[in-house]
Amino acid sequence: MSAPASAAATELGTSLKTSSGKTFGRRARLAFYNRTFKAICVVCAVFVCIILFSILFLMGRTGILTFEYVSPMEFFFSTEWVPENEQYGAFIFIFGTFALTALTMLIAMPISILIAVFLAEVTPPWLRAVLRPVLDLLVGIPSVVYGFLGMTLLIPLLRDVTGTTMGDGLLAAAIVLTIMVLPTISRISDDAITAVPKKYRDASYALGGTRFQTTFKVVLPAARSGIMYAGILGMARAIGETMAVVMVIGNTPQLANSLLKPTSVLTSNIVMQIANVPFDSTWNYALYLMGFLLLVISLLMIVLIRFMQRKGVQR
Amino acid sequence: MKMKWFKSLAFTTLALAVMATAVPVASAASKLSGKIVINGSSALLPLTLQAAKEFKKLNPKVKISASAAGSITGPQSVRKGIADIGAVDWDASTDVPGFKKFDGQVAHKVAVIPFAAVVNKGVGVDNLTTKQLQDIFSGKVKNWKEVGGNDASIVVVNRAFGSGTRVNFQMKALDGSDFMSKGDNYKEVKSSGDMKTAVETTPNAIGYMDLVYVTSKMKALKINDVAPTEANVINGKYKVWGYGYYMTKGQPTGATKAFIEYIQSKTFQNGSLKKLKFIPISAMK
Repeated sequence: MSAPASAAATELGTSLKTSSGKTFGRRARLAFYNRTFKAICVVCAVFVCIILFSILFLMGRTGILTFEYVSPMEFFFSTEWVPENEQYGAFIFIFGTFALTALTMLIAMPISILIAVFLAEVTPPWLRAVLRPVLDLLVGIPSVVYGFLGMTLLIPLLRDVTGTTMGDGLLAAAIVLTIMVLPTISRISDDAITAVPKKYRDASYALGGTRFQTTFKVVLPAARSGIMYAGILGMARAIGETMAVVMVIGNTPQLANSLLKPTSVLTSNIVMQIANVPFDSTWNYALYLMGFLLLVISLLMIVLIRFMQRKGVQR
Repeated sequence: MKMKWFKSLAFTTLALAVMATAVPVASAASKLSGKIVINGSSALLPLTLQAAKEFKKLNPKVKISASAAGSITGPQSVRKGIADIGAVDWDASTDVPGFKKFDGQVAHKVAVIPFAAVVNKGVGVDNLTTKQLQDIFSGKVKNWKEVGGNDASIVVVNRAFGSGTRVNFQMKALDGSDFMSKGDNYKEVKSSGDMKTAVETTPNAIGYMDLVYVTSKMKALKINDVAPTEANVINGKYKVWGYGYYMTKGQPTGATKAFIEYIQSKTFQNGSLKKLKFIPISAMK
């Protein structure tokens, strides 16, 4: 990157040297511009890193204070979350977050891949031109709207269909989240599938492959890393989603042993309680620790899937 | 001679009277200045904003900024020195269930807030005793037929711990007994608005909220055969109400003092406060 750039700068400098007397000045100025621009870019990059690390540091530092009063064993493995009685077991919320994300991806991935295949491979161009902007618009709908619709439409529906008394729980939250992440995952997968070179398809058809075989044995494997990336983005959105979840999950600190039992996840519990806790209390620290945990979980997920992705490419 | 003496006396009296009435008003309007920061309960925010609007008209040099989060943030902000006034739904200078008292803070009553136990329209129960309420909210009674209703599971909707409404309901309607914290038909909601939606849309649900939030799509229960009306609160029959408080660090001074006096004044209490459906504090004596 830098070698051709400096070569170009030298070239520009020498060509200027023959035409005018102020060669050195121009050259120095060019060098100054280049260096300043580089410095600004570096500062911006460093700024982002500083923000990330200071957030991690601040959340971690406040959260870690929890362990002065609560043992890590209790925090991570106890299912008793009763802050009024100094019981801070966060297992319910950690489990809830993982279960909810897994359930969401289980429902959302197949559907969104099929939507993406439909968009990229099946649809006539005019319909594609209509559908893509529609999906883009769906991405922009605020989560609180999804939550509100889930609370007023989905939950009564679930109550009628399943015959339970309440309807709040993991299933309702997973359905709302699925609807939320569908457009994100399918739009990015759609781009990945569209980017697969036409010669792959031509080769498959030339070998006598059907459209189905071509799509599922050639195009989708070729677009795998892009689809995985779409999945990560969707998952990141699902794991950190708060407003939509808090309105349909029931917010009860109990382990979800059924899809229709009111429960709570990390995000929903934080937002429910943070406004009402005294500053400088163990309870407050415990909520910070839960936020830190959420941060670490999503960072780990991204790192993990980056590794998987790299392996996939090498094979 | 006599006439002159009388005239001069009359003049002096008149002058004194003018001074006594006009001068303090004039000085209040012109001299009072400063900044008042108010934080705390969202239930009291409409009241605070209305009072601030009117107070600023009278005292243009006073700046008031009001915001709201949870009740507990009020006295906390006052303790930390972030806010001059902390609005809170209970007397934070005393211990209440779940919260310790805040030392060195003075509580000023500003309004009376009635609360009501509410149920979904479909629930066939109109009246519950304190004991029945305690049993329902602690999870002992799980079916409406046990308290004289249909054979259907009770869905309990509760506010999150720390809510001012919850503290008041627990103290006044449940006599301080504990809430349940888990169960198949139990959920917690974040705000009065969420409570409203939950009780309106969930069959067999029971919850509680400020009386002013009760809509026609739900039913406010009689407690111990007393209907939750403003009249019953004032005549002392309905017990489930609480004062809204302003907390200050020590006795207030200057603009803060004047503002609290304004919100407690007859003009405001019987005017705007009533329009916002709160009950004047003077009505309770």
